[in-house]
Amino acid sequence: MTGHVVTEVTELAPEPPPKGIRVWLKENLFSTPASGVMSILALLVALAGIRGILGFIFDPTRRWEAVTYNMRLLMVQAYPAEQAIRIWFSVGTVAVLLALSLAVWRVGGRTSPRQVGGTLFAVGSLALLGGLLGPFSTTGKIGWIVVGAVLAGVGYYLRNGLGERAKEESIPVLGAVAVVIGLVLVVIWTIELPFPVRDTAGEQVVSFLPIASSTRVPWTIIALVGVASYLVMKFARDLLPAVPTRRVLVGLWVLSYPVLVLVVLRDPHVPLDRVWSFYLPLAVGFAVVGALVLNVAANRSLGELGRVIGAVALIVALASFAFQMEYVVRFLLLAFAFFSLAAPTFGGEGASRRIFLAMWAISALLIVFFYVMATSESTVEVPGAFMLGGLGLTLILSITAIVASFPIGLLLALARTSKMPLFRIMATTYIELVRGVPLITWLLVAFIMLPVALPQGVSIGGVMRAIGAMTFFSAAYLAENVRGGLQAIPKGQYEASQALGMTTSQMTVFIVLPQALRAVIPALVGQVIAIFKDTSLVTIVGLFDFLHIARAVIPGQSQPFNFLGTFREPLLFAAVVYWMFTFTFSRISLRLEKKLGVGER
Amino acid sequence: MTVEVREHQKTPLWRNATFLKWVAQIGVLIALLALFALLGREALKNFNQSGISFGWKWLSDPTGVDIREGIDTSPDSGVRALAVGMVNTLRVGISGIVAATVLGTLIGIGRLSKNWIVNKLSTIYIESIRNVPLLLQIFFWQAMALVLPQLTTDDVGTYWFKASNKGFGLAWFRTDGGFWPWMLFVVAGIVVGRYVSRYRHRIQEETGRITYPGLSWFATVIVFAAVGWFAWPILRILAPVWHGIASFFRALPPIVYPIVGAIASIGFAVLWIRNFFESRRTPAGFGKLTDDDWFRVIFAGFSGIALAIVSFVIGGFVLTTVGGDKATVAELIGRGIANVFDWFGRSFEVTSGSPIVGSRPEVIVKGAGFVNFSEGGVVMSVPFFAIWTGVTLYTASFIAEIVRGGILAVPKGQTEAAMALGLRRSQYLRLVILPQAFRIILPPMGNQYLNLMKNTSLGIAVAFPEIVQVGTTILNQTGQSLPVVLVWMGFFVTLSLGISAIVNYYNRKMMIVER
Amino acid sequence: MTMHETTPERVLGDDIVIAEGVKKWFGDFQALKGVTTRVKEREVVVIIGPSGSGKSTFIRCLNRLEAHQEGTIIIDGTELTNDLKNIEKIRSEVGMVFQQFNLFPHLTVMDNITLAPIWVRKTPKAEAEATAMELLERVGIPEQADKYPGQLSGGQQQRVAIARSLAMKPRIMLFDEPTSALDPEMIKEVLDVMKELAASGMTMLVVTHEMGFAREVADRVLFFDYGTIVEEGTPEHFFTNPQHDRTKLFLSQIL
Repeated sequence: MTGHVVTEVTELAPEPPPKGIRVWLKENLFSTPASGVMSILALLVALAGIRGILGFIFDPTRRWEAVTYNMRLLMVQAYPAEQAIRIWFSVGTVAVLLALSLAVWRVGGRTSPRQVGGTLFAVGSLALLGGLLGPFSTTGKIGWIVVGAVLAGVGYYLRNGLGERAKEESIPVLGAVAVVIGLVLVVIWTIELPFPVRDTAGEQVVSFLPIASSTRVPWTIIALVGVASYLVMKFARDLLPAVPTRRVLVGLWVLSYPVLVLVVLRDPHVPLDRVWSFYLPLAVGFAVVGALVLNVAANRSLGELGRVIGAVALIVALASFAFQMEYVVRFLLLAFAFFSLAAPTFGGEGASRRIFLAMWAISALLIVFFYVMATSESTVEVPGAFMLGGLGLTLILSITAIVASFPIGLLLALARTSKMPLFRIMATTYIELVRGVPLITWLLVAFIMLPVALPQGVSIGGVMRAIGAMTFFSAAYLAENVRGGLQAIPKGQYEASQALGMTTSQMTVFIVLPQALRAVIPALVGQVIAIFKDTSLVTIVGLFDFLHIARAVIPGQSQPFNFLGTFREPLLFAAVVYWMFTFTFSRISLRLEKKLGVGER
Repeated sequence: MTVEVREHQKTPLWRNATFLKWVAQIGVLIALLALFALLGREALKNFNQSGISFGWKWLSDPTGVDIREGIDTSPDSGVRALAVGMVNTLRVGISGIVAATVLGTLIGIGRLSKNWIVNKLSTIYIESIRNVPLLLQIFFWQAMALVLPQLTTDDVGTYWFKASNKGFGLAWFRTDGGFWPWMLFVVAGIVVGRYVSRYRHRIQEETGRITYPGLSWFATVIVFAAVGWFAWPILRILAPVWHGIASFFRALPPIVYPIVGAIASIGFAVLWIRNFFESRRTPAGFGKLTDDDWFRVIFAGFSGIALAIVSFVIGGFVLTTVGGDKATVAELIGRGIANVFDWFGRSFEVTSGSPIVGSRPEVIVKGAGFVNFSEGGVVMSVPFFAIWTGVTLYTASFIAEIVRGGILAVPKGQTEAAMALGLRRSQYLRLVILPQAFRIILPPMGNQYLNLMKNTSLGIAVAFPEIVQVGTTILNQTGQSLPVVLVWMGFFVTLSLGISAIVNYYNRKMMIVER
Repeated sequence: MTMHETTPERVLGDDIVIAEGVKKWFGDFQALKGVTTRVKEREVVVIIGPSGSGKSTFIRCLNRLEAHQEGTIIIDGTELTNDLKNIEKIRSEVGMVFQQFNLFPHLTVMDNITLAPIWVRKTPKAEAEATAMELLERVGIPEQADKYPGQLSGGQQQRVAIARSLAMKPRIMLFDEPTSALDPEMIKEVLDVMKELAASGMTMLVVTHEMGFAREVADRVLFFDYGTIVEEGTPEHFFTNPQHDRTKLFLSQIL
């Protein structure tokens, strides 16, 4: 018998009798006199809160047009409009990758009409309440109340009117998401928002214009392309081999970010003649010659000589910094030293050897490619230091910092849990010192001290300084998270790998890190949220990130429209945008936590 | 045929595991130090070219720094300006910690409440506050306060509470003559109350009669405070004692302080090493010490000696005082201690007044058409309000989650066991659930307190004069970036060490209770 | 030393494990107080003793999971010192099976078995996988190759662990209480695999409480107490006529 368990026989627990609204109220609000008093107080607070928030948002003196007019500034700051297609391309790429990944990893389960109904009912009731309490005109009130009542009614029907069917998990979550995307598209094509205009006398007045009038075409296209690529992958995923497809997608994700930022958004002017005469031969030469040497160094019969090759390569790489040469050569030498040190332990034999050599060749080519891209002059002409500002800069700061801090944090965590006392002390000192002092101090250090500590002729732009400070800051926190995962690995895992003859580095790469990282994924997502929120601190050192535009640029605007002193509206808008990002991530973290069973003992 | 056991084979150095480990560690250490040395040399070279040489003279030099609020708004020296900043940081930090703990605990419990609407409101609070950057929230509170009505001549008068765009005034208490003698009564009440409560506790254990030991402690303190309220002038007789202690410290040769420091650090190291060896002792003699053990011993001894040397170096450091004369740090420590006792003695000589008096905010006309709060009550400036509200609300959302998690983490079996023993709900909460939840809550709570303290540094964004803001101002005026950064680091590292020491202390106490 | 026969298949060879006065401390606790013994090629040695007697520590010293601090250990002519080359050589010649199996939970059974051959022995992947399948057939669970350890029963996991050690083609196998964490009905399937292994001529040191196994398979039994070998001898001698009081006491408690 091969474990086919017959589940149909299992009897469902008898359903409790449906409860009336009075029973519900009694159980949940008025179970004791004290609870009743608390309920009434809390209800008053809630009503006052709703009334206050709506009163604030729909107050006729609110100047929301300051936000709508400056939307582009908030998103990308001064990125030239004629090159905006590059931004749309980047957003579209991310959307397509996201859609493909959702399909390939089969994300998204099903939900029941009961749950959808519950959500609709809550939203509808809130709208209804808002209509009753909000400072609207009579038509406005009626509109809110009608929409709220319809939503609440539909929700109530889905929840309670379908009987047993309401509990079946029949609605795909992604389908619901698609409906929401569709609704958003409808909204940006129909609803109008306040916008500043000049009347015939040249006075600044507020008129109503469609939302996103200049960007709704690209948004629609992106949404449709995303949905389409999901559908295509949904049918194709059964034809494709699962594991290689996932690997290709992961590779695309990893590559997409530097390519989008360095190549697509920067649009560098590449010196083609120099590429042909110098960079390409350099890359190919390193790839080929390096592969030949690595092939020798990985040979088992070589014994200790293999390690000698690695040591020599390391010395050469370090020595290269003492001589005059292009940085790309130094980087290549460093990468080669790294690979040749790894060759005796990770070189393998047969297919594994070929993969190892191919990884080296690809790394060499990528190093040269990204070096050329990063050092070529950008053709995007932006007044100011960095091409992107606003939300774009916030995203670039946080993604770069979190990605760059990952390897450092990993090394620090390994050092802190190492058996070697000096490594442990160095790592502990670093981690505790960095965590003990607030981030703003490190940002100030990076902006005030770093410029004078660098050798002459080397200067680092403001954005890079902020990224550097945030990277080293985040690495310390990341290290503590990873340490938690490392400590959770049973001692037997180390012993088994040692008994099999693995070296420390093999044990770390094959056994320890995969298990440790899996255990700390939710904590890492938490770290991403923290870094995303912390990027807002760069506004203090004068970078034009999302918060800085909302809090300093817009309220300081007097031309072409006057928004002087308009602080609260842009800040509230920014808060909502930040919230949407972090809330999404925290939900993802919760889901992962449940899925991986972390936190359950 | 057998293989003979020969003499130990000699291991070549390049294959010796122990040797290689130490080579790797020392190699990386040297590489890092070299990197720092290179950067440092470059920095010094660049600074020398720009004509700035790092030093600590700015600490005693007069500054032109004006500070908007704090214990001294126009400090006469760098060190005094920094002190004002530190006190401001601690003011926001400590009051924020208290408020955030209360609010966070309430919301955390609300999140567990069976009451539907309380539960939902708590959830909404947590999810909305903690998902928005703190800096944005601080800016928001600042913006909200700045649109409050301006103070005009119509507002002149005394209030219980007054909100305006110059800040919030509210009625508060203020210490008066007799405060310190009265405090001595209160402290005595706490000490005596401890004995009273212990005594009554013993009675309860012996006879089974309920004696309310906690309540009796509280009552003792109240009695002492009440008596002290009227009796404090008697303590005038203690004033000469304080002055005597002060003159003792003044007469002590300054070299005593570094010597005490050196003896303490070397003694501590010796004690540690002795305990360590003791812990490794067996009936058969000492066990084998591993590399790691030896390293610890050497490191402990080395740190002891280094700290001793450091205490002499710092003690001999000459500073220029505000008065203009030069004095070593050791001398200044002696003077400082003596001054504290003198000041104490003087405050015991006062005979008029009442220990604590109420005080209300007052709006007055300050110069031509310029209306503002006067000294009365407590006035919360707009920057203080923004930073305080921001960090308090923000931290409360994290504390709420910690409290909720801590209570949920107490196993259900504990509740059932307590119920089975017949404890009442209030009893089992107090005696069973809370002590266990507290132990789980404490370490992350300490972390949040630390975060709150560090987050007060965002005051720089709303021009609240805390340590980082004051430091930045000094730095801009003097160019002394490295020393100022070192001061920041010293301040925050001390703070975090202090908070973690307190948390560790309580943690250990809890652990002992557990066993 | 003359070669002597025990069973028709197994002819004992030269000394392959030599321990001379091995001492080991854990901080202030001395776990081994001078252990001296020799094991011949193809010999099966069973080590018994109360818990905390140092028997596990002793076999863990033999592949340097613990470093001994005094004395000499020579495995197949190579002395165990802090010489990296020697440690590497000895670890790849000595296989070990643990009480808690210690399979790698994030890898499939196949990957668990092939990981070390591929990266430590540098065997091409295809070859390593073929060997792994042979071994899985030998321990009787070829159909489980693509499952994860968490999906297997304890007895199956321990058999995978044995296959994983054998994949490195060791000359000596150490077993550290291989059946102690198993439910009674699974013990036999693991013992059968170990018996088959002994019959095939593998040198084995087995720490166990399975006296039946000791009686049936062992060439020699060592009794450990307080960090030393109190008594050693053939199973017949041991179970019928123990000399030492402590041995008698121990046997009376567990038999």
